[in-house]
Amino acid sequence: METATLMHTVLTVLLFVGFVGLVIWAYSKGRKKDFDEAANLVFDDEPKPAKPTQKQQQESDHE
Amino acid sequence: MSQTKSLEVDYNYSVVRLFTLATILWGIVGMAVGVLLAAQLYWPALNFDIPWLTYSRLRPLHTNAVIFAFGTSALMATAYYVVQRTCQVRLFAEKLAMFTFWGWQTVIVLAAITLPLGITQSKEYAELEWPIAILIAIVWVAFAVVFFGTLVKRKTSHIYVANWFYGAFIITVAVLHIVNNMVIPVSLWKSYSIYSGAVDAMIQWWYGHNAVGFLLTAGFLGMMYYFVPKQAGRPVYSYRLSIVHFWALIGLYIWAGPHHLHYTALPDWTQSLGMVMSVILFVPSWGGMINGIMTLSGAWHKLKTDPILRFLIVSLSFYGMSTFEGPMMAIKSVNALSHYTDWTVGHVHSGALGWVAMISIGAMYYLVPALFNQGRMYSIKLINTHFWLHTIGVVLYIVAMWISGIMQGMMWRAVNTDGTLTYSFVESVEASMPFYLMRFVGGVFVLAGMFVMAYNVYKTLRAENHSLKPVAEAVA
Repeated sequence: METATLMHTVLTVLLFVGFVGLVIWAYSKGRKKDFDEAANLVFDDEPKPAKPTQKQQQESDHE
Repeated sequence: MSQTKSLEVDYNYSVVRLFTLATILWGIVGMAVGVLLAAQLYWPALNFDIPWLTYSRLRPLHTNAVIFAFGTSALMATAYYVVQRTCQVRLFAEKLAMFTFWGWQTVIVLAAITLPLGITQSKEYAELEWPIAILIAIVWVAFAVVFFGTLVKRKTSHIYVANWFYGAFIITVAVLHIVNNMVIPVSLWKSYSIYSGAVDAMIQWWYGHNAVGFLLTAGFLGMMYYFVPKQAGRPVYSYRLSIVHFWALIGLYIWAGPHHLHYTALPDWTQSLGMVMSVILFVPSWGGMINGIMTLSGAWHKLKTDPILRFLIVSLSFYGMSTFEGPMMAIKSVNALSHYTDWTVGHVHSGALGWVAMISIGAMYYLVPALFNQGRMYSIKLINTHFWLHTIGVVLYIVAMWISGIMQGMMWRAVNTDGTLTYSFVESVEASMPFYLMRFVGGVFVLAGMFVMAYNVYKTLRAENHSLKPVAEAVA
């Protein structure tokens, strides 16, 4: 019974630390460029002339 | 972002087309059964004294039809579409993909036959008897093979976030379905669960609430992460937020099931754990809602002219509303009032008709022209008509159930000074009648909207290829 309780505690702490680590990783400055690229992945399938970023292209489409 | 990437891949659309049309067909069927049930509650004679048409048998038919026929067809259509487009490859194992379509349609037809006959495992949302449950498991594994096989052979280095949600939905539903359907068959159409008592109840609601969390939430969030940016013409508001809320959401949802079993034989600590997890779940849920809605920041004007975008964004508003309401209802003292009343029914439908149906309908309006060589739907005006019919219908439905549910809860708990109950049960039923009529009217609105959609899709399919020009081009 005690081993089980200890395991539960360790697992809970590990999961929490893992989650905090994930948040720090996701919000670290170094990841910004990669994430911007990833976010624009949805537009890569459009057969349009490429421009610096999709965001600008979409805005110019609108004008 | 290089030019070479914009080469058009030869995507497999045939299975996507089939699932898209199936979504619309089953949407109409499932919602029509729902409207009939709503009418039966107001006019009980509408079961015509035919056993197959009784409320008890049609109710599981309605839930199975809207969740597994309409909702899951929409998920399969969009999962196959999105995974191909964001991985820039053709579908893996195309024959297997075709098998998932026909296999899934067989499941639906078998459900439509067995449920009215009264053949059921009597587990909510898991009614289908063991031979059908086995077929579901086989089709689902095939679905997983096609989806993950396509991810493996992708041409992009990164796996776009929508696929993470679809992937979590596919894996978790497989696990839930298999564990909850562990039964011992005693004949072709009768089986008994291997679990018993409170354990059986816990397994059932672990399954049941994660069907909500992974099928009706994670899967549709996958849909949201592709179609909202596409239709808005902007990348998702925060990719970082999408990663954090993904892990938080899938980590927490799995624990929320016990809130279906408050004040039952389930151990108290399990109930409290389920309550706490359900309340925290509010945070990642709103993370997703904010991420979707804020994608439109700086482009709000598009909502004025684009009814498809309106469907998608309003669906997120309903998602935010029901994921606020849900955690609140999971609190034990609130649940003491809401449980077993129409409030629960209203909550489910604000999620199902507001969030799930609206995001699916928006996605279908995006998909149909894309799949059938058109620039847009036949009529943008009719999409707008559908939007208003649906929205008014859902609001009527939810408001009716809120009033009716809270009233029922209050009447059931009212006691006289001597401790006896103030109202008999049937008095609360009588008091609910006007709201049942209101709910029926709401349902009729929603169903009418689906017929408008079917007509619009039919006209789009009949139009000559490429004859319907995209809105922007038409203006220019």
